[in-house]
Amino acid sequence: MIKFVDATKVYSNGVVGLKNVTLTIEKGEFVFVIGASGAGKSTFLKLIMHEEAPTEGEVYVNGYSIHNMPRSEIPYLRRSLGVVFQDFRLLPNKTAYENVAFAMQMVEASPREIRRQIPLALGLVGLSKKAKAYPNQLSGGEQQRVVLARALVNNPSVLIADEPTGNLDPKTSMEIMNLFEEINQRGTTVIVATHEKDIVDKMKKRVIILEQGEVKSDEQKGHYINED
Amino acid sequence: MKIRTLRLLAKEGVSNVYKNKLMSTASIFTVIVTLFFLGIVLLLAVNITSNIEVMKRDLDITVFLNVDATDFEREEVTAYIESQKKDGIVSQYRIETKEEAFENIKKEIKNEALLKGLTAENMPMSYYIKLNNPADSDKVISDLSKFSGVNTEYGIGYNKDRLERLEGILKAFNYVLVTLLVVLSTVAIFLISNTIRLTVFARRREIEIMKYVGALDNFIRLPFIVEGLLIGFFGAVIAYLLTYQAYEWIQHVLNSILLNLGYTTLRLMEFYPVALRLFIIYSVFGVVIGAIGSLLSVRKHLNV
Ligand SMILES: Nc1ncnc2c1ncn2[C@@H]1O[C@H](COP(=O)(O)OP(=O)(O)OP(=O)(O)O)[C@@H](O)[C@H]1O
Ligand SMILES: [Mg+2]
Repeated sequence: MIKFVDATKVYSNGVVGLKNVTLTIEKGEFVFVIGASGAGKSTFLKLIMHEEAPTEGEVYVNGYSIHNMPRSEIPYLRRSLGVVFQDFRLLPNKTAYENVAFAMQMVEASPREIRRQIPLALGLVGLSKKAKAYPNQLSGGEQQRVVLARALVNNPSVLIADEPTGNLDPKTSMEIMNLFEEINQRGTTVIVATHEKDIVDKMKKRVIILEQGEVKSDEQKGHYINED
Repeated sequence: MKIRTLRLLAKEGVSNVYKNKLMSTASIFTVIVTLFFLGIVLLLAVNITSNIEVMKRDLDITVFLNVDATDFEREEVTAYIESQKKDGIVSQYRIETKEEAFENIKKEIKNEALLKGLTAENMPMSYYIKLNNPADSDKVISDLSKFSGVNTEYGIGYNKDRLERLEGILKAFNYVLVTLLVVLSTVAIFLISNTIRLTVFARRREIEIMKYVGALDNFIRLPFIVEGLLIGFFGAVIAYLLTYQAYEWIQHVLNSILLNLGYTTLRLMEFYPVALRLFIIYSVFGVVIGAIGSLLSVRKHLNV
């Protein structure tokens, strides 16, 4: 469960990234976070993964409180989260398999677990046949699938994606979103920041709209910015 | 941390040294220079210390009697020295008689004209006294100067000058040593931390991913520490070999110079007795500068 309590983020240069946000995301929810560029979507996600800490208020994530979090706890918070980015962030000198394995090695999974889990994760994202390919041998959509496999392989309870389809064509974007939905149906909380109207409208999920750092609306089965 | 993780991360550090060839070489080079100069100065300081000990043991007190000293006055001084020998203060002594002194001066002064009219009777008799402990010299000298037969004006003293000069040099060496230590290791640490900074930059993507998947801070640091340690250790080994070569050469040259100057007791010591100790000093020092260099860099640029 994720809970924002009057959370405010003011960056060191004085820019307000997020302002007095109070909301709760229950376990197993699928949430879109939308809003114009600079509205605070990335800031919202960064607070969840403690890439930034709130300057006021509190954010609770899977039982951790993000404000004044001890440094030593951060890795454990991160292990409960899977993260996907617009620009993929794969290691270019490792194969798809090795990229996913890297995530498991960093949390000291045993070689047995690694051998067992990775085919499952790659299978889930539909990339079993490309395990040995390097990132530059994969299309954008395929690379994002590898990233997704990497984010999921340590069984996080929350999947966070910041514009995951920003670099993909509409058809591929839809495929990736369908994967997110599948993952969500297995019980993982999914939080996606996006600009894509079509996808948001089609999927009929909870939509949080941010405007200049504030929550402008928060609706179940919402739409992309309501024209009014 | 599990062994296989340690191995994985250490391997990463090793391969960073290799991938970062140019800067690694530069850093290794500074470690070599640092340790090489430190080592040579250290070895010379050790040599000076040991030679001062040798010289102290060799130190003679020389006592000249007045030319017209009576037999009684002579017996008095000899008896005093004998009693000091019995007490274990004087280790040995030698008397140079008037005749011996005359023979010696004839050997030293070749010019017949200067010796004209000089006989053994004009020469003073003298004693060469060796002490067991140089610390007693002041007391022995003050005792001797009280005897009426002793020429107190110029006839009594010892080679304190040379000793003091050497001790002065040793002190200067220690200053040089400490200054070199500080300056050179600062330079080396700075260069190593700069090398590591480049690696941090080259590996920022990987570090970022490590942070996102929840790797512990130590996992992220370890490859960089290994890189720094390796640079320090490689530098130490090469510096050690160079020091060994250079010292053998210096020892050879200086010893033959000393011998030519007629110093038979002063010598540079052999390298072998200190070889192991020096290697340990080098390795520890190299590894410590390496570790400090990489820790500084990791602190500053990795934020972990
Ligand atoms: N590290 C930072 N330092 C200072 N200001 C920042 C920083 N990150 C974001 N901001 C500012 O905070 C505000 C919110 O930024 P944020 O990245 O959250 O927006 P966003 O909704 O993700 O935008 P986009 O759709 O362009 O990604 C913006 O005004 C931005 O300039
Ligand atoms: Mg953003």
